[in-house]
Parts: sequence; structure tokens; C-alpha cells
Amino acid sequence: MRLKTKPTTIAAGVAVAVFALVVINGNRGPAVYSGHNIAIALVVGISLGGIYAISAGGLVVTYSTTGIFNFAHGAIGCFLAFVYWELRVNRNWPTPLALIAVIFVLAPLLGIGLDVFLMRRLRNAPLVVQLMVTVGLMLTFMGITLTMWKPTQGRALQHFFESSKGVEVGNVIATWHRIITVAVALGIALLLRTLLYRTRIGISMRAVVDNRNLAGLTGARPSVISGASWALGCMTAAVAGILIAPETGLVVENLTLVIVVAFAAAAIGQLKSLPWAFAGGMIIGLVTGFTRVFIAFGPNYSYASEAIPAVILFIAVLFLPQARLATGSLRLTKRTERLTTPGEALGAAALIFGLVAAWANGWIPWITGTTFGQRTEVWLGRGVGFLVIGLIMLSLVPLIGWAGQVSFANFAIAGFGAAMYAHVGGQHGNPLALLWVMLICAPLGALVALPALRLKGLYLALATMAFAEFSDKILFRHPRIIDPVKNGRLYEPLRVLGFRISSDGPDRKAFVIFLALAFVVLFLLLEALRRSRWARRWIAMADSPAASATIGVNLTTAKIAVFALSGAMAGFAGCMLGLQQGSLRGDSFPLFAGLPLVLLLAVQGVRYPVAAFMGVVGLAAFPALYEVAGQPNYLTSIALIGPGLAAIAMAYRPEGAVFYAGRDLAALLPWRRDAREEKALAVAKLRSQDVTRDEINDLGIDRPFTVEKIAQLDRALNVADELLERPGVGAPPAEEVPDGTLVS
Amino acid sequence: MRFSGLVALSDVTVEVEPGRVTGLIGPNGAGKTTCFNVITGLQEPSSGRVVFDGADITGKSPYKRARMGIARTFQKLEAFSSLSARDNVLVAAEQRKAWDRSGFNPGAVADELLERVGISHLANFMVGTLPTGTARLVELARALATDPKVLLLDEPSSGLNEDETLEVARLLRVLAADGLAVLLVEHDMSLVMGTCEVIDVLDFGSIIFSGTPADVQRSHAVQAAYLGSGATKAGAR
Repeated sequence: MRLKTKPTTIAAGVAVAVFALVVINGNRGPAVYSGHNIAIALVVGISLGGIYAISAGGLVVTYSTTGIFNFAHGAIGCFLAFVYWELRVNRNWPTPLALIAVIFVLAPLLGIGLDVFLMRRLRNAPLVVQLMVTVGLMLTFMGITLTMWKPTQGRALQHFFESSKGVEVGNVIATWHRIITVAVALGIALLLRTLLYRTRIGISMRAVVDNRNLAGLTGARPSVISGASWALGCMTAAVAGILIAPETGLVVENLTLVIVVAFAAAAIGQLKSLPWAFAGGMIIGLVTGFTRVFIAFGPNYSYASEAIPAVILFIAVLFLPQARLATGSLRLTKRTERLTTPGEALGAAALIFGLVAAWANGWIPWITGTTFGQRTEVWLGRGVGFLVIGLIMLSLVPLIGWAGQVSFANFAIAGFGAAMYAHVGGQHGNPLALLWVMLICAPLGALVALPALRLKGLYLALATMAFAEFSDKILFRHPRIIDPVKNGRLYEPLRVLGFRISSDGPDRKAFVIFLALAFVVLFLLLEALRRSRWARRWIAMADSPAASATIGVNLTTAKIAVFALSGAMAGFAGCMLGLQQGSLRGDSFPLFAGLPLVLLLAVQGVRYPVAAFMGVVGLAAFPALYEVAGQPNYLTSIALIGPGLAAIAMAYRPEGAVFYAGRDLAALLPWRRDAREEKALAVAKLRSQDVTRDEINDLGIDRPFTVEKIAQLDRALNVADELLERPGVGAPPAEEVPDGTLVS
Repeated sequence: MRFSGLVALSDVTVEVEPGRVTGLIGPNGAGKTTCFNVITGLQEPSSGRVVFDGADITGKSPYKRARMGIARTFQKLEAFSSLSARDNVLVAAEQRKAWDRSGFNPGAVADELLERVGISHLANFMVGTLPTGTARLVELARALATDPKVLLLDEPSSGLNEDETLEVARLLRVLAADGLAVLLVEHDMSLVMGTCEVIDVLDFGSIIFSGTPADVQRSHAVQAAYLGSGATKAGAR
């Protein structure tokens, strides 16, 4: 990896080093820098680093060969570690048999299954869809694991060879488990290296990264290769999961969060370099080891050591070389652009408000004559929660849907807003505090945008995820931000026009109606914005940053503007979140809590403000289903599995439900001929794609290629005509020379 | 106006004058697109300078160059595919408000330009679903919407049929007559020969020939660059 060192890079490096020194200096633990202590730190660090390296290595292999970054890597490892526990401990299988069953049978099968059913469809999908599907997968695996192995029961995986003492290095004992870990990590590193550089399939895998179509033409089989790399990815995830479970405890959240470490290590390797990913894993392991031994964080930063991977991830992402201005290809399923008219927007707003208000007043069961949708105090409380989440979803529409900046940080920003609301007067029910919080959160949103100014899609998603994790482990745990002692009521009810708005039982109805009103106002604001030059500029920027720059768009200000808008909206939602929760705790805003809302919005269609309301309906549907089904055991984790599965379905329907439903419903209206044409076109397009795919399969392609086969392929792909138009590629131009023209 | 810079290019000087269409031709890989990227600031030259209107603009960010009056189209389409054709042009016209205070109406500008490139009937179509050639015309209209002094066109005719190409040629001549400086990269020699007053020939990163269309057609160096030295021998026989 060649790093171009610019002055700014050096300055940033110095800043990071100073920051690290200050942190180390300010939090020295009681341990002295003796050889013994350093040896302990090394032993712990290297073995942890080995596990991280394994996990990161698998992540890099799948990403670099399939182009899909697997957010579910940690969750899959967690699931497989639980399966291993089930076989080894619960069913008492012998260790080798259980290991083989999990690592060499179940993991590869899972990987191939994922590839066949999901990942191949994502190959050319927009980044948002790729992200949502793998994050959905992550939540689904978390949910499945939580359902199958209820967290109420304590479980533990033993270290390997727990009974024997281990090996003494100097005067430090390295347990066999640690030694095995390091050996396995080294073995996997060598194996992957050999596989990728010395075997046929490995070389094909690397060729596929460079150019899938070209590799296909030279006889590599892309489907076999992606299957193999997903199998490999799942196997490494399983190994890492089983090895780390004794360290972190067999707890779903802990095991899944290993993903942040793997992300950080992979980011050090720029997501593509295997050796650097391994080195990254080691670095993080060693930092963790030394921190454990030498650093004792003060009571204000009690969770800081858990934030180390997130901090390293953030720093690694900041140091990544600047992305060239380039554009991805976007596949469209609609032909003409028809924006929501102001009339339609007003109608939708009235409908949304009417529905929510009617429900809050208890009118819906009266209309339907059944208990369907009955309003209870519990459900009013939940309704408040869903609408607050809906507001956060709304804040993501301009950011993700229009400007194409995938951010997982908005829930954390809302959390920050909730905390700030208490500080600036919300605890006395002062409505002005709402404004203050929005003014604070707008620059906070812009601050999150800083990495986005240089980086593109995936890295931004990683950076925002790191920010969310950092907030959860450091910001929200600091007593100056959220005081753990004041566990009582933090917020007085907000008073608007004589109504009391709070989560107290009698105030809930007013709260729901107030939220519906706020939602509708913001909804209309976004609909108006969508028709303005701002939204056009953001969409242009998302479609082609390069072209935007060449028509004079200042990408920096455009990005900061959209992040600030989104931040302000999230801040407002945060105030409501604070009011809804009544009192805040340090663990009120974990990273995982912020993911389902992004997924549910994306599933509904991230480009459309109305999708946020559909997302609210979706949120409400899961607990409703749980209750209607009689609270069965298998649905206890539906709040995770539901959004997860819905997001996975985006592999099949990438545009989001609002789009498809809107098109299909509009087609039923007699005067909407355009919608019917639109649908017919989409269906025809889909069919022609399938036909092409079948034709290619029918060619029976295998190497070596004959000229006719290539010509057939060209015809099937419709590229022949274009190629022939190119000079120098088609017919030889020699005949044209005699008369002196250069037409070729 | 004078551009020179080095990337995959060495010592390239292309002079583009107002009121004239200048051609930049050369075999594939000669560095034409790189040249455009350097001029518009999408790529930084490792050494060398880019001079525009007498001012050194090397190191200036792309959007600032656009605001100074440099506009371009792309060989690989860079249209805003999820916006309608009209919005593509409208975005550029609205953006121009940031530096042009002449009080024009962006909507009217967009409609007029779509009319001018002959695609006003496709105004509401999403550009991503339009054929390549048509999308190129959208890019052309979008570039014009910034009211540039210099227009860089990267293979505008590819994907267009013969009639449409003729139409583009006519439009380019009209634009040049209005005082615009046009730099045209093109493989369609009939378009180049028919519109350019001066042609620069680029090969292996440097200008190997510069002259009128007639000179270029007679030049052996140019024929060698295009057809390989063997072909020159064949031609000389």
C-alpha cells in the first residue's frame, strides 16, 4: 500500500498522536511499565489481534471478490458460535466433530445459500440497496439467534484446553487457547494468501474484482467464484466467533459488535488489502491489550475501552485516500419523472394526520365495529415512540434518498438532541428549547459530514456507524451529557396551546396528536423542498458528483447543507425522544437501536417522504403481529427480524414499497394512463433482462472461446452494434487510406 | 486561451479561441479525455499549468473553473440519470445564479436549450432511460446552461445517427459564431472535418500535429499515428 503523504495527512497524523498521548497520559492505570506487564499486554493483544485479523480477513475476501461489504459478518459469526455452543455444550458432541460440523459444513452451506439467493442479485444494485440488505441480514441473524437461544439463560463457551495450564513465556502464561488462536490466525492468513495467489480459483477471484465481464470471457465462472468467496467469508466468521466467544461471553450484542473491530481492521487495509487487514487486526488487538493492562479510564469514561475499535475505524476512514470524483451506474425502473403535486402532498398530509388523530381519539374501532386498532394507554405510548422514530426517518429522506449519503448516525444525533433538550430548558417545558436543540444539532450533523466531504458511499456508512458507536460508548456515558444519578423525571411536560405533552398516561393522546402534526408539517416541508432547486442539486450530486462539479456545484457546501438540514430534523426528533422517554440513561441509544429505522425507511422507499409514515406503520405492525398471534415464543425478536427480513427483500424490490405500490395503485385509476404504461414498460424490461440471461446461459459458455461464441454473446448483450461503430475496433480501416480521408 | 499540463500528457498546448471550433483528435488512449479532465480540474496534473483567460487556474477546484466559464460533456455519460431531461438542464441553469447576476429565468433557459438541441419533446423523461445519444444531447444542453466561455465536448456524436450528427455539427457552428470557444474531441471525422477550423492531433500524450483539416488529412505523421507506421508505408507505396 503506497501512501501519498500530503501536509494535511501529516498534520492529521500528528493530531491523532497527540490525542492518543493525552488520553494515555490522562488515564494511566496503576500498572507500571515492567517487562512482565508488557508481556501480559502482548499476549492478550496478539491473541485478540489474531481473532480480529481472522474476522477482518474474511470480510476483505468477500468484499474484494464480490464488491459487497458484508455488515452481517459479525452476526453470522455470532449465530454460528451459538450453533457450536449448542452442539458442543448442550448436545455434548466431541469438540472436533462440532467444529467440523459448524466450520466446514454449516458455514460454507450458509455462505453459498446467501450467495445464490441474495448476493448475486445485489451485484449491480445501488450501494444503498447493498447496504440495506446486508444490514438487514445482520439484524435477522441477531434476531434468529436471540429467538433460538433466549438471553435469559446464561451460557458460556470454554476456552480450548481450559484444564491445562498453558505455556510459560518469560514469566507470563500464554494459555493454549491463546496459542491456538494465534496459530489459527497465522494459518488462515497463509491459506488465504496461497488461495488467492497460487490457485486457479483464487486467481480467478482476483480477476473478477478487476473486471467481472472480462474475467467471465476468459473462462472464469463468476457464480462459482462468488459462491466460494461467500463460503470462505462465513467460515472465517465462524472461526472468529467461536474463538472470541470465551473472551466476550456468549452474548449476541457483544459478538455482533466484533464487526466494528473487523470494519476498523479492514479499513486500515483500505477494504481490499488482505495483509493490511491482518496487520490492522493485530494493531487493534495490541491497542486493546495494552489498554487493558496499562490504562484505567476514569469514572466519566468507563466504557471508553469499548469504543477503541470505533475510534480506530473513524481515524482509518479519515486517512483513506480521497476518492476520485466518479459515478456509479444507476438502474432505473421508471421512465418519466412525475413529482408529487402540491395538491397530492396536502391530501396525503391530511390523510396521515386524520388517520393518526382518529386513532388517538379512539374512533377507529368505532368505525370498524371490531377491536381492530383499539386504542389503549400502552398502545398510545407505543404510538408516541413510533411517531418519534418516524420523525427520524423523515430526517433521512433528504440525506439518503436525495443526496445519496448513507448515514447510520441520525439516531445518535437524535439521542444527543434528547440530552441537549434537557440541558437547554426542556426540563422546564420551555418550547424555545426545541429551537435551540435544532440549532445545536444542525452543526453536529454537518460535523458528521466531514468524512463525507472526501469519501464516498460505503466509507461514509462506516464512518457514521463509528460515530454512532462512539456516541453510545463515550458521549452518552459522560455524566455531563446524561447524568446517571438523575434517574427520575428529566423533562417537564411541554405546554402548547394549553395542552400538556408528555409520556404521562393522560398526556399521551395530546402527545400523539402533536407528533402527528409535527410529522405532517415536516412532511410538507420536505415535499416542497423536493420541488426546489436544493433537492434537484442534491439529487444531481448523488447521480454524478463529477458532472455536478463541472456545472459549478460546490459539493462541499451542498453536502454540509443537507447534513445540517438532516441534523436539525433529527435534533427535533431527539427532543421528542427525550419527552417520550421521560428520563435518559447512558445506554438509551445503542448502535443497534438506530439500524432498524434506516432499514424500514429504505424498504418503503428512501426517496419519498411518505415512506417515513409507511415506516411508522411498519414499526407498529411488528408488535401488533406479536400480540395478534398471541405472543408466541418464536416472535419475541420480531422487532429485529421483521425489519431485517423486510430489508433483505430489497434484493428483489430495490426501489421500495412506496414506489411499487404507488405505481401499481395509480395504474388502477382510469385517468392515469401514464402509470399503466410505466408498469408495462417495467414488466417488459424485466422480461427482456431474463431473456438475455437465459440466452447467455444457453450458449453453454466454457473456454476456450470461439469467435462465434463471442459474437453470440455480443448479440445477446446488445453490445455488437456499439462496438462496430467504434473506429479501430470493427472493420479494418485500411481501405479508406487511398483517397486520403481518415474516416475509419 | 491556452491550456497546458502534464499527466498522461507531456507538453500539451491546446489553444482554444472564441468563435472557433477546435478539434482534438488522436487514437484511443492518446490522452484526450485526460486532457479534458486536467482542464476541468477533475484530475490534477503532476506538473505543468492550466491557463485560462490569462489566469493560472491550476489547482482550482472543478466548480470554480465551471464558474469561470469552462463547461464540458463526458465521453462516458455523466448525465443526472434519476432526474428528468429538463431538470438536468435546470440544475445547471439554477446553479448559474450563484455567479451570474444577469437576472435570467432558469426555467426559461432550460426550456430554450432543450429546444435548441432538439429534445424538448423528451423534457419529462428520466435521463437514465433515454438512449445514449439523446442523453449526450442532454449533457450538451446542461453544459450550455452554465453559459460557458469554453465548451469542451467529449465525443458528442457517439450514439447519434447521421442526421442527428449533422444537427450537432450545425449547432456547434452556430455556437461558435455566437462567440463560444469550442474544443471538440471526436472520432467521427466527417464531424471534425466539417466543423473545426483548427485540429490538434494528440498521440502518446503529446501534440504531434496541428493545422487545418486539409493539412491534417495530408499529414503522414497523423496517418502513422492512426494506422500504425506500417500503414504509412503501405500508403507511401
